[in-house]
Amino acid sequence: MLQHSLLLIYRNFKRFRTTFFINLVGLSVGLAGALTIYLWVHDEWSFDRYHATTGRLFQVLENQRTAEGLNTYGTAPLLAEALAEEMPEIQYAAVATPPDFFPGLTLVAKGKTVRADAKFAGKDFFHIFSYNLQQGDASQVLATKTAAVLSQEMAAALFGTAANAMGKTVEWQLADLKQTVIVTGVFGPIPPNSTDQFDCVLSFDAFKDIMKMGESIDWAQDGPFNTFVVLHEGADEAQFQTKISSLLQRKLATNTERALLVQPYADMYLHGEYTNGVPSGGRIEYVQLFSAIAVFILVIACINFMNLATAKASRRLKEIGVKKTLGASRFSLVAHFLAESVLMSFLALLIALVLVELLLPQFNDITGKHLALAFTPHLVFSALGITLITGLLAGSYPAVYLSGLRPVEVLKGQLAGSVADLWTRKGLVVFQFMLSVLFIVCVWVIQGQLAFVESKDLGYDRNGIVSFEAAGRAQQQPTTFLAELKRLPGAVNASSMWGSLVSTYGAGRPVEWEGRKILANNLSVNYDMLETLGITLKEGRSFSPQFRTDSVQIIVNEALVASLGLQNPVGQLLDNQRIVGVARDFHYESLHEKVKPFIFRLEPQTAGTILVRLAPGREQETIGRIQQFYAAFNPGQTPLTYHFLDEDYQAQYASERRVGVLARYFAGLAILISCLGLFGLTAFTAERRRREIGIRKVLGASEASIVYLLSRDLTRLVLVAIVVALPISYWVVQQWLNGFEYRIALRLWYFAGAGVLALVVAWLTISTQAIRAARVAPTLYLRDE
Amino acid sequence: MIKIENLEKIYRTDEVQTKALNNVSLEVAEGEFVAIMGPSGCGKSTLLNILGLLDEPDGGSFTFAGTEVAHAPERRRAALRKQHIGFVFQSFNLIDELTVAENVELPLIYLGVGAAERQAKVTRVLEKMQVMHRRNHFPQQLSGGQQQRVAVARAVVNSPRLILADEPTGNLDSSNGNEVMELLTELNEAGTTVIMVTHSEHDARYAHRVIRLLDGQVVLEHARA
Repeated sequence: MLQHSLLLIYRNFKRFRTTFFINLVGLSVGLAGALTIYLWVHDEWSFDRYHATTGRLFQVLENQRTAEGLNTYGTAPLLAEALAEEMPEIQYAAVATPPDFFPGLTLVAKGKTVRADAKFAGKDFFHIFSYNLQQGDASQVLATKTAAVLSQEMAAALFGTAANAMGKTVEWQLADLKQTVIVTGVFGPIPPNSTDQFDCVLSFDAFKDIMKMGESIDWAQDGPFNTFVVLHEGADEAQFQTKISSLLQRKLATNTERALLVQPYADMYLHGEYTNGVPSGGRIEYVQLFSAIAVFILVIACINFMNLATAKASRRLKEIGVKKTLGASRFSLVAHFLAESVLMSFLALLIALVLVELLLPQFNDITGKHLALAFTPHLVFSALGITLITGLLAGSYPAVYLSGLRPVEVLKGQLAGSVADLWTRKGLVVFQFMLSVLFIVCVWVIQGQLAFVESKDLGYDRNGIVSFEAAGRAQQQPTTFLAELKRLPGAVNASSMWGSLVSTYGAGRPVEWEGRKILANNLSVNYDMLETLGITLKEGRSFSPQFRTDSVQIIVNEALVASLGLQNPVGQLLDNQRIVGVARDFHYESLHEKVKPFIFRLEPQTAGTILVRLAPGREQETIGRIQQFYAAFNPGQTPLTYHFLDEDYQAQYASERRVGVLARYFAGLAILISCLGLFGLTAFTAERRRREIGIRKVLGASEASIVYLLSRDLTRLVLVAIVVALPISYWVVQQWLNGFEYRIALRLWYFAGAGVLALVVAWLTISTQAIRAARVAPTLYLRDE
Repeated sequence: MIKIENLEKIYRTDEVQTKALNNVSLEVAEGEFVAIMGPSGCGKSTLLNILGLLDEPDGGSFTFAGTEVAHAPERRRAALRKQHIGFVFQSFNLIDELTVAENVELPLIYLGVGAAERQAKVTRVLEKMQVMHRRNHFPQQLSGGQQQRVAVARAVVNSPRLILADEPTGNLDSSNGNEVMELLTELNEAGTTVIMVTHSEHDARYAHRVIRLLDGQVVLEHARA
């Protein structure tokens, strides 16, 4: 039976070559799209899940009430140790400085200097995370204040090999801080699917000393630090959650509005956003979006299969009728049609795999990933599963429809096309084009919003500003360094700061004014920062060495003044800091966020990052000069690596840009597959109506009227699709735009244009077939009868 | 073998009801060769479809080999069809994608006959129908007469008790038509019951008995000498 079915399938493929080709192309492209997205989604899901403690590993966060609602951020520095003592269900707890907390620090050993991304972490850090410790013991590597655990790469750069590095001394330097440490461990490469990437881990006890933190926890304290805990096997997670959420209440013995919460560490990569104290999404939204797109693309390809299979049913009626007459059960017919579609989708899988292999480098470029088509059991099973489901889905409707036909009518050549069947097929075409229109609208709106983001006046001039991390002498003597830097030809202005203008991670701190508490972002800066950035003042003055005050000078933005309701802000003391000026609001965060309260704090000795405004048209030569000057000022340091502030700004929209590019590709795919389907359907309509066309032509119908006759029904369906798609697309893009505080207005042309485009493409597809049918001499058609 | 009583079949459209069969009763004994005749639209093919369990009557009873089958479920009808009934159509109804041998093999596959036995039976019947030399050809490569021989071969390959032939010579010239009628006669002589719908008085002469229908009713029934 199977052999017989395969034979029939093979010969049917041969007989209906166009249909076969359309289905193969559609399903291959659809499967290739779906597999690529699958690889991406799987990679996203795998983030931070490789730690042996996954399932028991949590990060502790803290919710604090401010005027804007509950805000979620890091924890106090000494919380980890206190938690380990308070809660017996905790097996390990450790604190760590958050990623990007410092600029890279400099490691010096044996006269060699390297730049390293470092973090300070508690003793059990390597028990908690599986960072592949190659040298050293997890319980010992961070046991002393002078401990340093290096990456294999750093160890090799400084000491040749990992084993050589053990027990050797290294000096780390950061601004005016330095410490001599001993290498106690070396860890292997951190997998790319780890959120946290670093080169060096130092003892948090040393950090406590440097920051003069004291030894025991002050429960009233908060902070930006990461606290990680691992529960004992079998510990009751729900009970732990309840206990920890009320801990601060109990400890502070006041009616505090602060509360701790825990999140599974593995979930934080995808669910990294919090609104009013609860997780509210994050990258998971893109994972869901693209999973939906993959499903839609496959469904569109399956619809082609369904439509063409039922359309060509008229040509296969005899086969079905004869089989039924000979006593074939409905089950055997269903099995036959499903076998046909499953076989087709497996053929398509072969082509899809080739397509994926060819397209992955480009896809990796767009997504910034390193995906590869490795035939792991996981991928093999998933690919086979997706293909099988696609095959069954594609074959389901034809199988049920065709096997349900009555043999008598089938043999008479009457296709009992019930109203329901007809509507099903029309509905499928409408659904296909509806998705295509939706994709087109999405593409245009995303492009429009990105263009808006690029051209928006941010309140500062981000063009022509180069930024780099300072190290060594440049970091220790910023005043001299900046003064000499400004004298270089082509350097218009320069200043330094601690952190980054566009990444204010961990810099949010509560400020209070007459009982009103708000969260404000802080940036420690040097003189001339506002001038270098081109930020203008609404009132007061900028930082200037000519003015000395008894307290720290700050400049606040308009949003802060408004949030706190400050009257005459200049000269006021805010948390013991003197407001000397009010800057006009500028967008230091992405346009997803509205401008929030911001404080520039004058700290002339801080120089983590240097910003230089370059004279227009002389950027490259000036950068060359800066590099030379930096090397001369800073002998022995690693060469300067710079980037433009505009790049940092653009990087904030990396996800949107990716979505934009991918949406464009997938919209193209959706339209291509839908049009292939239309092409096939028109061909079949023309064939089914050969006799009618012949008679009409004999009676004097023009070619144009025949083309109209053949195109009319399908054109109507596309029109219906457009009408259905427009309100849906309006809702979808509005939802996406709502994620931006600053966004474009939705204009009619996004929708009208998408409709017209879909219609034109559809009509071009239909008319090529229709014109061909209309041009055939009528006798050829009639002779067939 | 076949007994129908007061059989009715009504076709309905939105506005019109047509009685295709009106109180038709007849019996066909095992081993008989019966011809059903009548003008176009008299209900011949409808009757044949009901006898072949391809269609259901709206009223009356239908006993096949002692069992009432008028409203048997599709599964049972399909089982009876594949075990006991062979069909020969005017338009041959061979599957274009299958070769001669594969077409003939099809009923045996549905009966679950093993591959070796299938091959033996197909060979035997193709030889008998004198189309063995065409076994690997596709239907479109054969003449009308050859196609109908293949169709007959397919109808008899599983040795059915009943052969239903719907205008078996309608698409054939007279010499090919005669050959097919000879074949049916041979099968009948070997014990197979044959019921044939035909327009042709010439073909009807091969039958033992002729039933004439007009407007869905039996108007005349007479035996041939």
